[in-house]
Amino acid sequence: MSEIPSPAPALDVQAVVKNFRRGRGLKKKITRAVDGATLTLPRGELFGLLGPNGAGKTTLVRCIATLLIPDAGTIKVLGHDAFKDSLFCRQRIGLLTSGERTLYWKLSARDNLNFFAALYGLTGKARDKRIDYLIELLGLKDVERERLERYSSGMKQKVSLARAILHNPDLILLDEPSLGLDPQFARFIRKFIKEELNRKQGKTILLTTHYMDEADELCQRIAFINKGKIIDVKTPEQYKRDIPHTEVLVIRCQGQPDTAPIQALPGVERIASEFKDGVTTLKVVAPRAETVLSEVIELLRKGGRILGIDIKQPTLEDVFLYVTGTSLGADTSEQKPEVQ
Amino acid sequence: MSFAATAYVIRAEMVKTIRIYFSYPVIIVFWAIFPVLWVFPFLFQGKALVGPGQSAAFQQLTGSGNYMAFILIGAMVSNFVFSGLWGVGNSLREETYWGTMEYIIASPTHPLVILVGKTLTEAAITTCIVALQATLISFLPFGIAFTVAKVLPVLLLVGLLMLGFYGFAIAFAGFTLLIKEVHGWVHTLEWVFFLFSPIRYPVQVNVITAFVSKLIPLTWALIAIRGIIMLNQRDVGIWKIAGVLLGMDAVLLVGGYLTFVALERKTRRDGTVGMH
Amino acid sequence: MAEGSRVQGFKGSGTRTPEPRNPRTLPLARLRHYALAVWAENIKEWKLELTYPLDFLRSLIDPVVYLLPYVLYGIALVGGRYSPNLQKLVGTSDIVSFITIGYVFIGFMNMALWAMGFSLRKEQMYGTLEAVFAAPVPRWVFTMGMSMHSILHQFLMIAVQLIFITAVFSLKVNPAGLLPSLAMIGLMLVALYGIGMIMASTTLIFKQGWLISEALGSLLMVVTPIAYPLAVLPVFMQKTALTVPTTYGILAARHFLLGEQMGFSVGTAFLRVAVLCVAWVVFGLVVFALIDRYTRRSGTLSHY
Repeated sequence: MSEIPSPAPALDVQAVVKNFRRGRGLKKKITRAVDGATLTLPRGELFGLLGPNGAGKTTLVRCIATLLIPDAGTIKVLGHDAFKDSLFCRQRIGLLTSGERTLYWKLSARDNLNFFAALYGLTGKARDKRIDYLIELLGLKDVERERLERYSSGMKQKVSLARAILHNPDLILLDEPSLGLDPQFARFIRKFIKEELNRKQGKTILLTTHYMDEADELCQRIAFINKGKIIDVKTPEQYKRDIPHTEVLVIRCQGQPDTAPIQALPGVERIASEFKDGVTTLKVVAPRAETVLSEVIELLRKGGRILGIDIKQPTLEDVFLYVTGTSLGADTSEQKPEVQ
Repeated sequence: MSFAATAYVIRAEMVKTIRIYFSYPVIIVFWAIFPVLWVFPFLFQGKALVGPGQSAAFQQLTGSGNYMAFILIGAMVSNFVFSGLWGVGNSLREETYWGTMEYIIASPTHPLVILVGKTLTEAAITTCIVALQATLISFLPFGIAFTVAKVLPVLLLVGLLMLGFYGFAIAFAGFTLLIKEVHGWVHTLEWVFFLFSPIRYPVQVNVITAFVSKLIPLTWALIAIRGIIMLNQRDVGIWKIAGVLLGMDAVLLVGGYLTFVALERKTRRDGTVGMH
Repeated sequence: MAEGSRVQGFKGSGTRTPEPRNPRTLPLARLRHYALAVWAENIKEWKLELTYPLDFLRSLIDPVVYLLPYVLYGIALVGGRYSPNLQKLVGTSDIVSFITIGYVFIGFMNMALWAMGFSLRKEQMYGTLEAVFAAPVPRWVFTMGMSMHSILHQFLMIAVQLIFITAVFSLKVNPAGLLPSLAMIGLMLVALYGIGMIMASTTLIFKQGWLISEALGSLLMVVTPIAYPLAVLPVFMQKTALTVPTTYGILAARHFLLGEQMGFSVGTAFLRVAVLCVAWVVFGLVVFALIDRYTRRSGTLSHY
């Protein structure tokens, strides 16, 4: 009996490279925004791409959405090449990009959706039914005829989400979907993505974020991306397990202490520090926090008053810091490698 | 704010505006060359309708049959005037576009002080460009010659004209805080001036345009300037015209200031200052 | 994965949704899809334009205000409506009708340079260009939709212009020349679409794209025989004028409506415009495709 061939994965990215030229004239330099990214999403997976600002997440998403042409590598959506068969791929992809201005703010939600429906070939009653359904689903019924310029950020994001799924795509690309939203809307968006789109409708979703808890809550697997490279791809539990016996010592103190002596302590694996409003929050990653606690306190006391101490189990953010040496809150857009 | 502090802000605004202006060198070259090109259709039209050189009908209307010189002088003066409209009138809109308008309004400096800085910069740059154009044109065989005896009264008239026009431009700048979409309105204003003042043609040819043109300072200035340059008139009633222009300037400057203040306050009340 | 509590389904969920369309369907179905997208783009532009009613009204009045100085200048030069010099040159002396027809046609050229030319730049300004380009329709569909809006808008402006000139000056044209003029306009618009595509794509990569439109428009205003016959232009300008579709549009329309002598036959005029159609459209599509690829390689699509 012949084998039934397994369906092509929803998304297959192989060794994608994307460079950008920056600067003017003779001062132009080439930076590598995506550096050999490889990942495969089986159908129905909710996959996360987690990394700090400037890591290359948006660039990779735009390559998949056929808005950018990669300089090397291949991208296949449901087995079709995104460059050679771009029309097919665009029909299968729903895209939500970050940013306030991605809709016609002088038009209503319904007018916006009517227009985009036409671009995806939705017509007549099927279009109207689909838009009615999405407006109901996303709680936009009361405002559907008002101009978008009067909407809050959260409501605009709902309309963006409606546009992304208007044509019932197989693969949904969500680039920082809850960026800049208040907690209530952010919670709604996340719940919608997980429960409605992924669990109920079985959509394959690639979600990019720099919010650790969002990735942890939503994603079945997560890729860490930093400085254009995909560092690792695992489930959240696997990431946390892979830092055995590691704890995070969180200390808040006044001023900006010198962290070099702390880094040099035996048993300290990583340090991240954030200075804000005159207070430094130091995160010291060590197999057992209490073995370094007293020495760390001694070093810090010289520099200023200690305001608080806590020992925590690692979160994904700590895992990211441990694996990459970079904090998720950092801006790495200027740290991308230059290509000679 | 003290006078010294105000002067410092004006200087800072001038430096900033000049730096931004010169970061687009292509634009400077464009404005130096193309306004002269825009008069060519009129020159060819003249050649087609009455042949090259002179028009008897023009002679009757304006005192000179040299329609080419008529058009060129109108072009130079209007270039001066409209660059002020674009530069000053549009300038605050550009601040809104860059996202800096709210920060200007939030500062202790009145936006009008910023406008003064922009106005002075615009005047300086445009003067240089028009001077270059005038020099080039004087070498061409259009019967336009500039002497010191002609240039000085022309400069006086242009200076008085621009004073009033900047008052108008300041009022317009206030409107741009409300209108948001400005370019179309600036073009419309330009074309209204082209229609109702003797930039492109002698407005006496039509009763309506002749009447309306008397309300526009540009009309008075252009008639006098052409009289000086084309007709070599020593006595164009320059002091009378200067007086008329001064009167109009007073009205336009005061009116422009009051309009701007009222509109700026309105946008702050409506909460639309930073809106693009 | 952190397990959230079991949540209720969203209201309205579970409705059957249409299957995604496969773009590789029968050509007719695909054409229908593209036609729908073109129409939707056109409607969207009208809706956006009409949210600024004052600007819309102004845009209809502008062409009249723009045209009048040229007409009045002509009258001032000649001392009346009829020019013996013009009669000698082209066989017609009515300067009002002569100039009006010229400026009606140059409006189409400006439309290609500005309205069509800035269509994609507008989408960039809205912030919607990426969303629109991510849709499964070829790029030319969007420019065609925006061109449709521009052309309809242009016809509205022309109607206002002609009504005004007829009311104030009376337009003296040969009614039998209307149909062949419209045929020439149709051909000319196809060629202008190609020019519009070039302008649209250049505005995507040049931040000061308006400079290119302004410069090109200024040059074309000079070489195109708007308010004067081709014969008054220097020879090199005449040759340049003959590569521009609007030249033939203007000359042919004035020939049909006023009896102007063109210097070549009607058949030759139509043939040349047809050739220009093919040339400009092909050139426009090629330039557009190249620049589209460039912006997708360089990542500047969303930059405004």
